[in-house]
Amino acid sequence: MSEPALLELENISKYYGNIIALTGVTTSVNAGEVTCVLGDNGAGKSTFIKIIAGAHQQSEGSLKVEGEEVMFDSPRDALARGIATVYQDLAVVPLMSVWRNFFLGAEPTKGWGPFRRVDQDKASGIAKEEMAKMGIDIRDTEQAVGTLSGGERQSVAIARAAYFGAKVLILDEPTSALGVKQSGVVLRYIIEARNRGLGVIFITHNPNHAYPVGDRFLILNRGRSMGNFAKEELTRDELIMMMAGGAELEELTKELEQASAGDEGLAHLAEEFAEEVGELEERAEHD
Amino acid sequence: MTTEAAAAPKPDERLAYRGPIQRLLIRPEIGALIGAASIWVFFWAVSDVFGTTAGVNNYLDVSATLGIMSVAVALLMIGGEFDLSSGAMTGATGMLVVLLVKDVGEFGGAGFPLTVAIPLTLVFALAIGWANGTLVEKTALPSFIVTLGTFFVIRGAKLGFSKLFTDKVIVEGLDNAPDHAFWENIFGAVWIRNNHVWDDFLGGRDVVYGVLLAAGAVLLVYGVMELTFQRRGRLSSSGLPVAGLGFAGAVVGLIALTATDGTGANWIWSIVMGGGVAAALYGVGLWRYETRPRQGSSLDLGGATGRNVFIGVAAAALGVVLGLILDAESQTELGFLLTVQGLRAVLFAGLPILGIVVLLIAARNAGKTSAKTQFVITAITSAVIAALAFIVQNEALSRKFRAEFFAILLGAALIVLVSGAMRLFFAERRSPEATADKRGRLFALLGITAAFVAMGIRLLWSTTLENETLPGVVTWRISVFYFLAFTVIGTYLLLRTKFGSWTFAVGGNKNAARQVGVPAARTKTTLFMLVSVAAWLVGMLIAFRLNSVQANVGDGLEFFYIIAAVVGGNLLTGGYGSVAGAGIGAVIMAMSFQGIPFAGWNSDWRFLFVGVILLLAVLVNNYVRSKAEAAS
Repeated sequence: MSEPALLELENISKYYGNIIALTGVTTSVNAGEVTCVLGDNGAGKSTFIKIIAGAHQQSEGSLKVEGEEVMFDSPRDALARGIATVYQDLAVVPLMSVWRNFFLGAEPTKGWGPFRRVDQDKASGIAKEEMAKMGIDIRDTEQAVGTLSGGERQSVAIARAAYFGAKVLILDEPTSALGVKQSGVVLRYIIEARNRGLGVIFITHNPNHAYPVGDRFLILNRGRSMGNFAKEELTRDELIMMMAGGAELEELTKELEQASAGDEGLAHLAEEFAEEVGELEERAEHD
Repeated sequence: MTTEAAAAPKPDERLAYRGPIQRLLIRPEIGALIGAASIWVFFWAVSDVFGTTAGVNNYLDVSATLGIMSVAVALLMIGGEFDLSSGAMTGATGMLVVLLVKDVGEFGGAGFPLTVAIPLTLVFALAIGWANGTLVEKTALPSFIVTLGTFFVIRGAKLGFSKLFTDKVIVEGLDNAPDHAFWENIFGAVWIRNNHVWDDFLGGRDVVYGVLLAAGAVLLVYGVMELTFQRRGRLSSSGLPVAGLGFAGAVVGLIALTATDGTGANWIWSIVMGGGVAAALYGVGLWRYETRPRQGSSLDLGGATGRNVFIGVAAAALGVVLGLILDAESQTELGFLLTVQGLRAVLFAGLPILGIVVLLIAARNAGKTSAKTQFVITAITSAVIAALAFIVQNEALSRKFRAEFFAILLGAALIVLVSGAMRLFFAERRSPEATADKRGRLFALLGITAAFVAMGIRLLWSTTLENETLPGVVTWRISVFYFLAFTVIGTYLLLRTKFGSWTFAVGGNKNAARQVGVPAARTKTTLFMLVSVAAWLVGMLIAFRLNSVQANVGDGLEFFYIIAAVVGGNLLTGGYGSVAGAGIGAVIMAMSFQGIPFAGWNSDWRFLFVGVILLLAVLVNNYVRSKAEAAS
């Protein structure tokens, strides 16, 4: 690739006092690509987002936007650089209409002085159009966002970010609270956004969601990067194995076995668990 | 995933189109509007004064100061916060302005002119609002607690300073100020209705009133039709002659009705007018709207439909029979609170209303399968209403029931019948259509405005005849106009400006708002300052009313502002609500308070009444919000 990546992170670390929240993370986001960030709870995903979104500053390492080294002071800074974040449950105001949500904080106005008012026709027209580009037909933009399904709500936020000139879109666990079908809808919007030339950072703890849409995978575990892979270098099973933390799984199996001594029901559970881990390992080695 | 992808570009079949009525029903203020109308009708029926200009003046005057505050408090509540200091603040600003223009003993003996004192008071009010907002924002404590603190501070300061400077719990002497006369024009002006006679200009007050009211009705009906029916691809001129003839008939009938007085002629002209209205509507329908396809829907009055129709008619009939049996004059007590007369009124009004509601619901449900059945049930409903009208005319003792109420009921019967027929003939719209929606809303709004202007004219101007025959002078205070202006400006602010959007957003989901760059802290602080500006205005109105202010003025009223806002459809949790609704809520409160003595009841019961209204309002709000949030 001749031009620099949209976003490049090198050896990013973050310390809160003596707590190491994140250390030595390296990855990149290219235009028209999806970078998935995977990790279990407490893996450092949210610290990772906060650094890119400008809510926190990295303690070490370099963050480059289109080849230029930056350090964000505030979310506004990041936004000005074209990095927009869509938080899972903070994305929209449910009781407000679609168009009001779409233009919230950046309402187009018309008129003069005390008669400067929101240009509703324009706002509502653009909102409808942009949502249509995402493949959602909003018939009545006066409809409250709360009446949309969970996936569609996320997509309002995604379409909004794209419309307001985001180049990099950070999606924080967009599928975690959704059912199977709704998750599918959101994954489709991620692809839609990617096809429109945005760089997408998709944060999730579900490798089954990440693998089909991702071009690059960054796996975090307990604040450490477990690797940064292009899709070709990795199979789905390897991804799952790595996410679950390989060695730790075996540890967990042993612990479960010990704890279940004397308890028949629990022992049965431990057996099953061990079996599953074994299978997973086998498959990962095969691939 | 693939099925979703294929289905998405098509219109979402799960989203049913909402007609104008359904869309109206999920507006936050609609519960308040229906409540206000019911309470008005109730007190109008039981009291002789309530419906007169003097009565209207009485409760509007009370609602004005309450309403100015509840409008501002509603904005703050939509923004997700409370201000418990708002009531005490009204008294504090009023008191401060009096203290500033007086010689206040050792405190410098300032004696400012009002031109200085009034802006100073405004600055003081803004400072309190700012302090409230900033404290709430910086500490992230609930505004309930923070402003409760401010409330006690203000309350204590009012009493303390009043005693300190004047040794009394009242400060007096606003009229000592040298420029009092000028400022009285702004905060204390009055409009004496009896001095403003409108006899000849433009044919006299009542002619202008009638024309405006009729024009308003026409505009409203046209607007509703545009919203309801599917427009033709090409307009058909064949309907125009019918429409023109009908319209002419309606106008001639109306003019003749108002000009004549004989009963026989009245009947002829009533029929001419009613027929004209029906013909005009049908003509306009032919001209503009698609006719309904004549599908082979058959009449089906069996099963549940038939049972509901029977229940509806039976309820109305039972109410009438019981009403006729019970003695209208009897004041015999039937235990707690209720006389035979009262029971009769309750049964006579309640059961038929219940019956009509059942019938209308049955008609609506039947409309889903058979248009013909729907029309037949609507026609039955109309007949029931018309029958009630005649029974009322025969039975009632007072003129207002025999004439006015009779006419209103007949009109309602006509509206039900004609609207049912229109739905049978013409196709209803099933999807939104930007231009038609916009035009419909515009005309409906124009119609409502015209009707309000008409009523305003009647309330503000008298005729020579009225001055001679009706007792009493009606004095309109300027506070009523401020109330109206505040409501209009507040509504505009909330629905049409950036600030309004931000208000909804910070109340609905503050983090999301902040995330997209809404200055949440500033928005909330501005809202607190808006409340304090309202409190300042009310303080000035209070001070100029009596030229003196008691130390406890306004204390405790903050809850009434909040109640008025809640009754008006504002959620206690923020993010949803209506400024106009809060205004209506204030009128409801004032009507309840003033109506109880008007009706000749012991006003000790008024809090019970207010409590019931509040509970009902909260239930309605809850229902409306679940409707607004749910998928259909």
